[in-house]
Amino acid sequence: MTAALPSGSTQEAPVRFFSFHLMPYPDLPPDYDGPAWITCPNELFDPRLGGDLYNRYIDELVYAEELGFDGVCVNEHHQNAYGIMPSPNLIASILARLTSRVRIAVVGNALPLYDPPTRVAEEFAMIDCISGGRLIAGMVVGGGPEYYSFSLNPAHARERFAEAHDLILKVWTEPGPFEFTGKHYKLRYVNSWPRPIQQPHPEIWIPGVGSLETLEFVAKHHYAYMGIPYFHINVFERMFAMMRDACQKEGYDADPLQLGWLVPIFVAETDAEARRRYEEHFWYFVRRLLPGINISPPGYTSVRSVENIMKNAGTFALNLETWDEVVEGQYAIVGSPETVTELLSANIERLGVGNLLGLFQLGTLPAADTKQSLELFATEVMPKLRHSFPGALDPGASVGARAEDRS
Amino acid sequence: MTTLARHTLDSAVGEIEVHRAGSGGPAPVVYLHSAQGEGPGMVLLEQLAETRVVVAPLFPGFGSSEGLEHIDDIEDAAFHVLDVLDRLDLPWCDMVGLSLGGWMAAELAVRWPERVRRMVLVNPVGLYLRDAPITEIFGRAPSELAGELFADDDFPIAQLMRAMDGMEADPSQIPFELVRPILQSQAATAKLGWSPYLHDPKLPSRLRRVTAPTLIVHARKDGIVPRVHGEAYASAIPDAKLVDLDDAAHLAPLERPDEVAKLVLGHLGD
Repeated sequence: MTAALPSGSTQEAPVRFFSFHLMPYPDLPPDYDGPAWITCPNELFDPRLGGDLYNRYIDELVYAEELGFDGVCVNEHHQNAYGIMPSPNLIASILARLTSRVRIAVVGNALPLYDPPTRVAEEFAMIDCISGGRLIAGMVVGGGPEYYSFSLNPAHARERFAEAHDLILKVWTEPGPFEFTGKHYKLRYVNSWPRPIQQPHPEIWIPGVGSLETLEFVAKHHYAYMGIPYFHINVFERMFAMMRDACQKEGYDADPLQLGWLVPIFVAETDAEARRRYEEHFWYFVRRLLPGINISPPGYTSVRSVENIMKNAGTFALNLETWDEVVEGQYAIVGSPETVTELLSANIERLGVGNLLGLFQLGTLPAADTKQSLELFATEVMPKLRHSFPGALDPGASVGARAEDRS
Repeated sequence: MTTLARHTLDSAVGEIEVHRAGSGGPAPVVYLHSAQGEGPGMVLLEQLAETRVVVAPLFPGFGSSEGLEHIDDIEDAAFHVLDVLDRLDLPWCDMVGLSLGGWMAAELAVRWPERVRRMVLVNPVGLYLRDAPITEIFGRAPSELAGELFADDDFPIAQLMRAMDGMEADPSQIPFELVRPILQSQAATAKLGWSPYLHDPKLPSRLRRVTAPTLIVHARKDGIVPRVHGEAYASAIPDAKLVDLDDAAHLAPLERPDEVAKLVLGHLGD
């Protein structure tokens, strides 16, 4: 499953195309002006609508396989309207069954929220088995709001993450049973059934917003770094440059497959039509679903990383006011197939990324618009980008396999 | 008034900052600060130092005090304070603690009652009372907190906190040197009080072990800790009484140093 790409220089950068779903709640009442996170009253969640949404959103992800995408992505958030997917593993296991070819990226499980985190090793291994070895295992510290929602001490977030990561990798790569005694987790019998199909372990992705610790961690382990959106394009450029530096410090050149760019995309027949149909849904996302996402609990980020993150905070999408700003900062790539192709092509080059994670459904964007945009992207945009970035023709490519190939 | 001098002390967790002045009195007064990290330049301490030895250590994560990475919870904090007392050569002392510092003083006094001669707890956190929660302090806008921490809107720190409003939208506008100490002290407070929220479930049943005559001060305009917390401390500690302070809020020792000094000296004796 993880056949290496044909050997070639990094200049002919491969690109893999993923369809990412946040599974947003599109029906917050107009008179609710509070945050979408932590304390957003759950009376506002209509379970019948919720059921429809889950099924619709799963359909949208499954459709991406039919359209020729290389993979699909889901992620984990709790107690919020921004993304009603507290368990991405449930959705990923459904996708594992309903698809047969695409990589299934869970981006990721918030490791410190699982106690013991062997649960993550088990569930990821299950998804990998059910999917025939198509899982991409994302691991994340978890967003600031989760530390309120779980009453989990944010000052322990980083060390819990590191310890949970070490434990999960050990579960996958060393024979059990064994004893694990860390600071936060003390387990006498670690012996996960099942084990993942992909050996030594599934490809690992780490999403981030530019914290130095995370970049260094990803570089050290040769994992892939997924830049989380909603910042000005310049911020991504700096972030990926930092990632390349971090890899250099570890003594190697970053593989483009180690870099991923998550960006909202909407394609329609013309630029004007695209904006006309998309803009209100984008603003629902920015003004109704983002508020509260950027809360940073005390001790969650190191002082040196906070300094770096603060520099970029002014460009966070929550501060957007006009469509011109959206276009200028490329917070979303919206337009005709030609425009979208041109912008994506330029940015893939500029950022040097090997994974494009398109967010095709956003905010209140209805099913029909999402479907049409996906289709236009798949038929009019993706083929041209594949032509420009030919490495993408092998969907089995993975960071691990390429690293192995080089060594 | 007597100005406190800054010293450093090698503790088990790292070098910490200790402010100290004065002489005389039946026992040195050790002041344990709140989550604000107050101490240096504090009028109350300067007043106490006129007649007493005053020692104010800054907890790891506050000021230049190191070692927060070795502290995980309130029990570690109690052992840290014990270590500081040992290294300061204080076999016993009078303890004054505000809020978080009051909680630390209580945690110390239940474990090593012989180390505390007399004790004053001002608006202490540390207890959980079902229908009287401690107000959320994490993730709140400074302008909102100002009204809960201070009785007087015009008090300089309260004004400063209100001026910080609106800066959250673009934190890059705030000079990082102003932010750094706040981040560190908030991280320290989170380590002790994120969860369980600013309390120790085991503390109530242990308070009977306190031998020091204890004064609990409740500020009537405290927007953080309800009065019943003071009552609970006063009824669980064998020799304790509760007094109310008018026109003062959570950070009463900053806002009303004269009144607090009078209460403290009245309780500790000359």
